[in-house]
Amino acid sequence: MDDKRSELKKIIMDIRTLPTLPGVINKLNTLSENAKASVQEMARLVSSDQVLSARILRLANSPSYGFYRVSTISNAIILLGVNVVKSLAISSSIFEIMERSSVGLWEHSLGAGVAANLIARKLALPECEEIATAALLHDIGKVIISLKCTESEQHIKKMIHEKQLYMREAEREVLDTDHAEVGAWLSKSWFLPDKLSEPIAFHHDVQLSQNHRIKTAVVHLADVLIKASGFGESGDRYVPQIQKIAWDVLKLNDEILTELVEELEDKLVEARNFSLEMQA
Amino acid sequence: MQKIPLMCATSGMKLARDVFRNDSPVGMPVCGKDTVLTDSLLARLDHLEVKSIYVEGHPLWSEGEKTLDEILCDLDLRFEKVRNDPLTSKLHSIYTAFLKNSMGDSSGRQTL
Ligand SMILES: [Fe+2]
Ligand SMILES: [Fe+2]
Repeated sequence: MDDKRSELKKIIMDIRTLPTLPGVINKLNTLSENAKASVQEMARLVSSDQVLSARILRLANSPSYGFYRVSTISNAIILLGVNVVKSLAISSSIFEIMERSSVGLWEHSLGAGVAANLIARKLALPECEEIATAALLHDIGKVIISLKCTESEQHIKKMIHEKQLYMREAEREVLDTDHAEVGAWLSKSWFLPDKLSEPIAFHHDVQLSQNHRIKTAVVHLADVLIKASGFGESGDRYVPQIQKIAWDVLKLNDEILTELVEELEDKLVEARNFSLEMQA
Repeated sequence: MQKIPLMCATSGMKLARDVFRNDSPVGMPVCGKDTVLTDSLLARLDHLEVKSIYVEGHPLWSEGEKTLDEILCDLDLRFEKVRNDPLTSKLHSIYTAFLKNSMGDSSGRQTL
């Protein structure tokens, strides 16, 4: 078991076996470390890769963010922030895979992004766009598991079905790791900032999040809400338990939860249309 | 609430959302939420090239669409592992109430 885990970790931490990172990203990393770099400079750099720019804009216009038209990369950088644009750039190749091979998981991720954005706005939290992005990426480990361990994936699916397990429990039994940990490895190898990697790593275990517990709690709740709504497919049909620590840290109550459900159901009509358009 | 093509809308239905020109949610709404539709209003919306609107309840049913009972049953199945957890079962009751409310009672349903 342990062999499998370390083998998987080796594969994931080895950038060469992952979907290739656009060359632009490394340059952008260097550039955005430089505090003096202007939005224009960064936008010019990203725009030089047209395919990448198109993918970023498509995601920036998804209902996970609340903007109606983001038509240029410099707009995207101003509205969403460099971190978000960078994460969308990095993960766009993964989304590409998701949209094609796993529509259900893509919809689950999109819906979690929508839910997280709603929660963050309702609670007037800072950095809503970052939170929405973390939610959009929260199950990214599942895509990697399905890419790198096709055989185990079949085994995991069978176990979920036969033993009525949460996907995460089945992953633990088969791989000795789970998609949250795999997502964490992945975020490391991509140099994602903590505020994105912590929610990805701990969305099933909020108390382990040390530096960004509120963001992690939002992503956790977004995952619960979207599973409750039945929108998309994440591997198993079971709604996860709302963690007490998440409820407390977000200071939730019945009224807020009721409003969130209503607003989410309203927004999901849009999300469904968006997903259909992407597949057309 | 249900999104329906304008051509399926009939007078008496009530708008659940503002209506915008060309279905684009920018600019001024041409007709506000909670308005009850009339024939002349429908003609005007058609003239403005509005393609679809959101109305209250669930007036149109298509073949194979799930009934409220089936939807509630699916909901229960999704919550099957967490029904005894106090916080998560709150969410279950909120969702149940929401679905009952938004689907209305299905009397007088029409087939699309
Ligand atoms: Fe997950
Ligand atoms: Fe999830």
